[in-house]
Amino acid sequence: MKSPTLSIDALNKVVAALPEDNLATSRRAALDQFRQDGMPGGREENWKYTDLSEAVAIANRWLEAGAEIPRAGVAAVDDIVRAIDADWIVIDNGQIDTQAVDGTAIAGVEIKHLSSSAEQLTPSGRLGDLNAALLRDGLRISIAASTELARPIGILIVDHADSAATVSQIRVDIDVAANSSAGFIEYHVSNGDAELYANSVVNVTLGDGSHADYVRIQDRDRAHEQTGYQSVTVGRDAELRHCAFDFGGRMVRNDLVIDLANPGGNAEFAGLYLIGDGQHIDNHTRTDHRTGPTESHQEYRGILTGKARGVWNGKAIVHKGADGTDAEQANHNLVLSRNAEIDAKPELEIYADDVKCSHGTTIGQLDETALFYLRTRGLSQHDAKQVLTRAFAQAIVGKAPISSLHDFLADRIAGRLDQLMQETDA
Amino acid sequence: MLEVKDLKASIGGTEILRGLSLRVDAGEVHAIMGPNGSGKSTLAQVIAGHSDYEVTDGTVAFRGKNLLELEPEERAREGIFLGFQYPVEIPGVNNAYLLKAAVNAKRKHQGLDEIDAFEFLKLAREKMALLDMDPKLLNRGVNEGFSGGEKKRNEILQMAMLEPSLAILDETDSGLDIDALRAVAEGVNALRAPNRAIVLVTHYQRLLDYIEPDHVHVLSEGRIARSGDKSLALELEEKGYDWVRKAANG
Repeated sequence: MKSPTLSIDALNKVVAALPEDNLATSRRAALDQFRQDGMPGGREENWKYTDLSEAVAIANRWLEAGAEIPRAGVAAVDDIVRAIDADWIVIDNGQIDTQAVDGTAIAGVEIKHLSSSAEQLTPSGRLGDLNAALLRDGLRISIAASTELARPIGILIVDHADSAATVSQIRVDIDVAANSSAGFIEYHVSNGDAELYANSVVNVTLGDGSHADYVRIQDRDRAHEQTGYQSVTVGRDAELRHCAFDFGGRMVRNDLVIDLANPGGNAEFAGLYLIGDGQHIDNHTRTDHRTGPTESHQEYRGILTGKARGVWNGKAIVHKGADGTDAEQANHNLVLSRNAEIDAKPELEIYADDVKCSHGTTIGQLDETALFYLRTRGLSQHDAKQVLTRAFAQAIVGKAPISSLHDFLADRIAGRLDQLMQETDA
Repeated sequence: MLEVKDLKASIGGTEILRGLSLRVDAGEVHAIMGPNGSGKSTLAQVIAGHSDYEVTDGTVAFRGKNLLELEPEERAREGIFLGFQYPVEIPGVNNAYLLKAAVNAKRKHQGLDEIDAFEFLKLAREKMALLDMDPKLLNRGVNEGFSGGEKKRNEILQMAMLEPSLAILDETDSGLDIDALRAVAEGVNALRAPNRAIVLVTHYQRLLDYIEPDHVHVLSEGRIARSGDKSLALELEEKGYDWVRKAANG
């Protein structure tokens, strides 16, 4: 398999036509880098299970047609904003409603457009270069030192592809300064009948002694594609609580890269993918323990029906001298159909002596004894399966650090599961 | 109420029940005793509808209905309750949720509305007090981290909430200390009623000191080798199971 090739001529033309704003320098630098490196994929170990060629084909059609960006539908937005208590900012096919940003007056929080910011974009891998080269605007959210946010900040990413292939670039920088505490919800939705590929980059910096709660929910149309890269740099004695949910998308690749470069840094992260026929969800996490003592604990769970394909790859690297590292990884999968497939791979690279590391992976079906037990209590076979599957998912919902989301997530999971079980008659 | 005739059942090709017949009428308490491997638990599982067991011959009728045609959940809704020898731990499924779902499944089958939330809690707390159960167990995962005694009490709690017509309690006494045994027995005795039958499957006579049976049956090699009243259990305790086996073969 070769790396898919993006049409560079078309890309050059589209990038050249973008406005000469504050992002122009970053765009050109990223374009140069992208021209050298190209798309990830092909024989690379890190991309072994996930094929970006469809996403690239969508991008080529979009670039060649002049890279039009339609406006997103508002209906999906209203539902979510009403259901979840947060200060919401909407990113609409990569564009940001200025009024909404200016109207978000929260003490200790500064929200800026990347297009009007003098700072250069942080390099964020090859897809990050593609993102930067095509970026029209993004958000920079800064939380001032010693601020405690009462409500989470919601970033609602809505993409819409109505009549032609559409690509959107999403970019958010988040800076939580020292001794602050903040919650974030990153919510992806998409709609429309045409092809869509969304490419998102989120870079988070956590200052010393800070605490961030972060929940990412991806609930895109099941025909749409997404790549998402998120990096988190964790300061001294800072804490990250991260939880990710994937429900939608045809091809979704998430990279979560956590850098524990300072003593006392602590990251707990979890994820759930609940997917059915025709969906391919790939979660790659990488945790760098660069010094000790630092801690990381991760647990991802998957529920797969129909011909779903899941990939989980959890990599923890304990660098030389990072003594006092505690790294734990777990991935559990519930496979509800014969045709679903999961590739689960924990990876530990340890170059220090005094470390505590563990990993565990399971792939299994519903417990027949528990099913029978529930049925002898009068629950139908369908309900018994639902109950057990929801319980499996609930272990991750409970880890979502923003507890006001728990009921919302439980409902979404129940609804989604009902739909998937009907489809496959599982 | 329950009429088992010449029942033969096997698991994985091994025949366990070899022509078992048993009749249980409303208002009666039956004890089914027997050595390990005699088929006691198999009988309980077959009546509840476990799909691992294949019924190769015979009939099981419950209030005139052919039980073998019904799914386990249909049997439950018709009023059969199986108390498990090893109650299953189900982390993440709330105990109260299961109790309520079970009660409502049966009510729906009977054409009744769902139980009122307040009513449900009141009833559950009442029954728990009777069983000397910690009310906190209601909000834990089903049997999750419960002690042996708590698990068995939880089975009796489910039974008390469901008010079955026929309760089969599989080795409910195993692994219980004397206090738990008493509490469980009290729970069972409270449910004795003219319209209800209870079948106690047990290895030891001990339980029968607390729940007095009307009939005692001794199983041997998949058949009922001997039936009698409660004195049979005492005789068995004295003479051991070999006595029945020899008598059955002789």
